Amino acid sequence: MSQNPASDAGTPPDAQETIQLPALDTQVAAELAPVIEPAHDQTGVQEIDPVWVHSGYWGPLDEALHPAIVALRAQFGDAIEGITFFRDEVTVRVRAESLPEICAFLRDTPDLKYQMLSDLTAVDMLNLRDEPRFDVVVTLYSIPRRWRLRLKAGVREDQPCPTLTTVYAAAGWLERECYDMFGIVSAGHPDLRRMLLAEDWDEGHPLRKDYPIRGYKQYVQPGFAGAPRIRETSTEGD
Amino acid sequence: MMQETSTTGTMQIESERQIGDNRREMVLNMGPQHPSTHGVLRVVVTLDGETIVATDPIIGYLHRGVEKIGETRRYSQFTPWTDRTDYVAAPLNNLGYILAVEKLCGIAAPERAQYWRVIMAELSRIASHLVWLGTHALDIGALSMSLYCFRERELILDIFERFCGARLTTNMMEIGGFSREIPLGLTDMIEDFLKIFPERQQEYSDILTQNPIWIARTRGIGVIEPEAAISYGLTGACLRGSGINYDIRKAQPYLIYDRLDFEVPIGTRGDVYDRYLVRMEEMRQAMRIIRQCLDQAPTDGPLMLNESNYVIPPHATVLRTAEDMQRHFVWVIKGFEAPKGEVYMAIEQSKGELGYYIYSDGSNMPYRMRLRTPDFVNLQVLPYMAQGAMLADVVAMIGTIDIVLGSVDR
Repeated sequence: MSQNPASDAGTPPDAQETIQLPALDTQVAAELAPVIEPAHDQTGVQEIDPVWVHSGYWGPLDEALHPAIVALRAQFGDAIEGITFFRDEVTVRVRAESLPEICAFLRDTPDLKYQMLSDLTAVDMLNLRDEPRFDVVVTLYSIPRRWRLRLKAGVREDQPCPTLTTVYAAAGWLERECYDMFGIVSAGHPDLRRMLLAEDWDEGHPLRKDYPIRGYKQYVQPGFAGAPRIRETSTEGD
Repeated sequence: MMQETSTTGTMQIESERQIGDNRREMVLNMGPQHPSTHGVLRVVVTLDGETIVATDPIIGYLHRGVEKIGETRRYSQFTPWTDRTDYVAAPLNNLGYILAVEKLCGIAAPERAQYWRVIMAELSRIASHLVWLGTHALDIGALSMSLYCFRERELILDIFERFCGARLTTNMMEIGGFSREIPLGLTDMIEDFLKIFPERQQEYSDILTQNPIWIARTRGIGVIEPEAAISYGLTGACLRGSGINYDIRKAQPYLIYDRLDFEVPIGTRGDVYDRYLVRMEEMRQAMRIIRQCLDQAPTDGPLMLNESNYVIPPHATVLRTAEDMQRHFVWVIKGFEAPKGEVYMAIEQSKGELGYYIYSDGSNMPYRMRLRTPDFVNLQVLPYMAQGAMLADVVAMIGTIDIVLGSVDR
């Protein structure tokens, strides 16, 4: 996969992986006279107008050219663990302990001004790697530059993640939701309660990958304890 | 202790305590079945007399675990669930999700489909703003507004019904474009709407904009300072009412928005009245966008991307060729395997920035599906706005944030 997929005029990086089905017998095809050309006659994806290829919305896709990455590397050095580019998006993997300082630095640097916390969430990496279990995902937006930036920090299951409420007021509810759904404790959060689930919910944190889709305890409508169920299990994958 | 509770009452006193000689601090529960909370929002208000000391919005009564559901469904199966998050602007939710999946897969819809997506998205924005205007004005006391607004919204729902067969939960957008042709007569319906709606909107404006009661209830109420608006992550009219120019259609244009000529209204004071003016102007700008799209959109050409991996094959070839029939079968039964990676795609929904974050591990289901809904983030500014305000103004403040609880709770 190329480092800069947005630059090469619309051809997505995985176009080569398109399954090449055998060509139709021309005789049969002429008799059938399809109204629309079958998709497998086309070579990969249709040509995409460059307008629709989102590029530059996350800054330059080059570690040496992106001012935020350059500034972060100069300021924080070993707290920056890696940079990833996918499509037009820039992901900076940082250490969880330095997340608030990095966010405050990105917010206050006059050249960058990542003032807005677009999103704060987490990913449970249970099925994909051993440690650390969670990735806290922070999406920032810079109003003057019109760029986004994603910070990712690995957090172990027993490790509290420092709060961002000191930097962004928006982090209050987003971190509460993170705690509610994943059990990630934000150290220093002024009001860390459950957000969406009930206050007395005692069945853990539902967006963890080991949480069953239908919950640990089966809910039975009062008065329907003996009623036969139409479908015992979900037909979808777990 | 004074008891004003009743078993069916929606406003009830939780507790009271003396904080001075003639002052009592009262904790009042509002909702979750209160008519002015636009659904099942519960607000616990701490009062000193009529003045609000603290507000605690409690949400989650409509939590259905949409994100968990998204992680257990194939990519094409999740679109109907996006309808049910913000159910007054379903096509916009479809659009955000579909654009996120298309970005993940590296595909884009044909030009004609993009124009029609914009038309449907802007119609949906008008419909959503009409619901907001009707209920917001109803909360403040202009009862007749809700009747008028829902009358015009009906025209838009009729257009949706003609387009896709459904009125509320449309499930309209598909990965790669639209698989059905634009129905006959749809353009005429939209043209009729474009003729009818401006004068109707002028009537709403005549009722409210200069109305002294409306101004008294909204001007200077619920002021959000620009710095606070940015720090709270507000988007949409809540942010633009405070004078910050951030509209994703302009800042990071998607689809064909960069070809269209429209303005982004900006408020100056950041109060309820300014946000009202911003949303009214947004409806007018949406009309301009629809007008331009109808003029510019190609009249023929493909509506669906002809692509063999991620897009459902066209129905005509499915019935004619064995290969496309097989692909159709695989696409429906097994789904497609998206590339590994993560995308965050944000669009300007009627209420603000609607972001879909998808983390893909290369399988046919997203590993992590995240909905960053605008009203969830916007609602947490309510305690800030309500601090020191009067109890009766909380109703105006909840209305001005423009929440839909399905979208807040997900």
